[in-house]
Amino acid sequence: MNFHEPHIEYAGISPIIALTVGFVVVLLTAVFKPVRRTAPALTFLTLATTAGLLIWQWGESKELITGALQLDDLAISISLIAILTAAACVLLSVRETASEEAGSGEYHALLIGSVLGMVLLTQASNLVTFFVALETLSIPLYILCATDLRREGSLESGLKYLIVGSLGSATLLYGMAFLYGGTGSTDFAGIATGIAHNGMLGDPLILVGIAMCAVGLAFKTSIAPFHQWTPDVYQGAPTPITSFMAVATKAAAFAVFLRFFDVALGPQVDQWAPALAVLAALSIVVGNVGALGQDSLKRMLGYSGVAQAGYMMGGVVVATEKGTSSLIFYLAAYAFMNLAAFAVIIARERETPYGDSYRAIQGLGAEKPWLAWPLTISMLALAGLPATAGFIGKLYLIEALVEGDYTWLAVFIAVGTMISLAYYLRVVAAMWMRPAGETAAGATPAIAGASSEADPIDTEAGGRIYLLAPAVLAAAATVFFGIIPQPLVDFAAHAGASLF
Amino acid sequence: MNIEWYIVLSSLLFATGAVGIVIRRSPMVILLCLELMLNAGNLALVAFSREVGNQQGQVFALVVMVIAACEVVVGLGLIVAIFRRKLSLDVDDLSRLRG
Repeated sequence: MNFHEPHIEYAGISPIIALTVGFVVVLLTAVFKPVRRTAPALTFLTLATTAGLLIWQWGESKELITGALQLDDLAISISLIAILTAAACVLLSVRETASEEAGSGEYHALLIGSVLGMVLLTQASNLVTFFVALETLSIPLYILCATDLRREGSLESGLKYLIVGSLGSATLLYGMAFLYGGTGSTDFAGIATGIAHNGMLGDPLILVGIAMCAVGLAFKTSIAPFHQWTPDVYQGAPTPITSFMAVATKAAAFAVFLRFFDVALGPQVDQWAPALAVLAALSIVVGNVGALGQDSLKRMLGYSGVAQAGYMMGGVVVATEKGTSSLIFYLAAYAFMNLAAFAVIIARERETPYGDSYRAIQGLGAEKPWLAWPLTISMLALAGLPATAGFIGKLYLIEALVEGDYTWLAVFIAVGTMISLAYYLRVVAAMWMRPAGETAAGATPAIAGASSEADPIDTEAGGRIYLLAPAVLAAAATVFFGIIPQPLVDFAAHAGASLF
Repeated sequence: MNIEWYIVLSSLLFATGAVGIVIRRSPMVILLCLELMLNAGNLALVAFSREVGNQQGQVFALVVMVIAACEVVVGLGLIVAIFRRKLSLDVDDLSRLRG
């Protein structure tokens, strides 16, 4: 008998191998050589190698591991967004109590583990890989949320995220089981043929399956009405982790949203798209209204994230190449806007005793313009003002929606943007129009998010390069792609074209 | 026996788990309920696998068991950490963060 060695496409799985090796190495160095700087440096090396390998594979489109993974430009572009966010998170975590408390090696290894899940998830083209990747992404995040062990809020957010996240996963799994029962296949392509064969409305199993899968994914992307955990977890988690979660998880979950709905369920777009459009509209309303009354910047960004997820959902709903491209553009822009905001919030959390409340940024414009400008740019971009990447992103989304006959959803985006100005501009007003002094008069510094064992205050935190660099660079990128969007548009268009 | 029985049982398990997560207050019981929901998925997968006639569902169910174990490990770890901080083990009291 002859032994047939399986064909393994090593070039295609090299980014996954690099991340896995990095994960193990970072974890082991923590055991053997407990030097504080090694883990972040090795994490950077791992992320840079993976990014390099992904860029090397740019333009390829191939099936890996007998069709379990599909490496194409959609996967590569969103993986790159996730890796960029993770790299920023490593910088923002320098001197963060959470990473020291939990052990630098463990903290960074878990971060790499989560990125590994994201890279897998963007490529998943089989229900099994889809589920495994989603959990590889989520389980390290549950722990990372709780890494600030001394702070009650952090532990609480970890447990809450675990319960809600697992509820979402269990719903998703149950939906997957029904889809498998209805179509007889776990492959996305096989599901598409199965549905085409039976017809989606004809088979209740498939219908139930799709509905439950949509609910499970909505939990992960924090689409209303499955968003309740978002503000709580965003506020409780260590801020660098919040920034990573806000951007990278959303990006990876939307990647699989696109692939699952547009490829596996693509032929039946007329049936699922209206349902998702309603969820998107609901998210826009709930997120924008919820953000209005918040006193914590992180909670505000949590609700704003719900609204932004609603905007992005528009790109999935239309199920066209244009929709996909505009979604990827928006995800990239969203990464820059959010990173700038979170970097400034982290700096102020360390500089003032006010945690992440609005009070922490009052008078920042006069006091520290280098911190005030990135936050201002980020807020204006999130609100979608012209000359920022956020504006171009919204423009593309609306254009895609109008072309795809979802003009009413585009109107929702426009109205949502108007409401959102109220809370985004409130941040800008607090920075530039309030004097910093008025807070000192006997005010109690105990506010949401901070605990009684507040971290030591580092008045120079805002000047430190590892916080200032991400803030300024992300803000600069936001403005740059707002004025010269072409490079990012080409990147997104290329990625969008690979799916259709 | 018909496949319907398996589906009915699994949906009952799933519903029990979902209701349990909503009404029970102890994180331990909530973790058990999560397991119940995942196992409802497993039962459905295995039953469908017999019906469809390929092994993909059975393999999927094995993978899910591993993942469920990972989730429980993390969940129990968090509960121990909360217990050590002498916080109340009642999810209603964990309300520093309020939505």
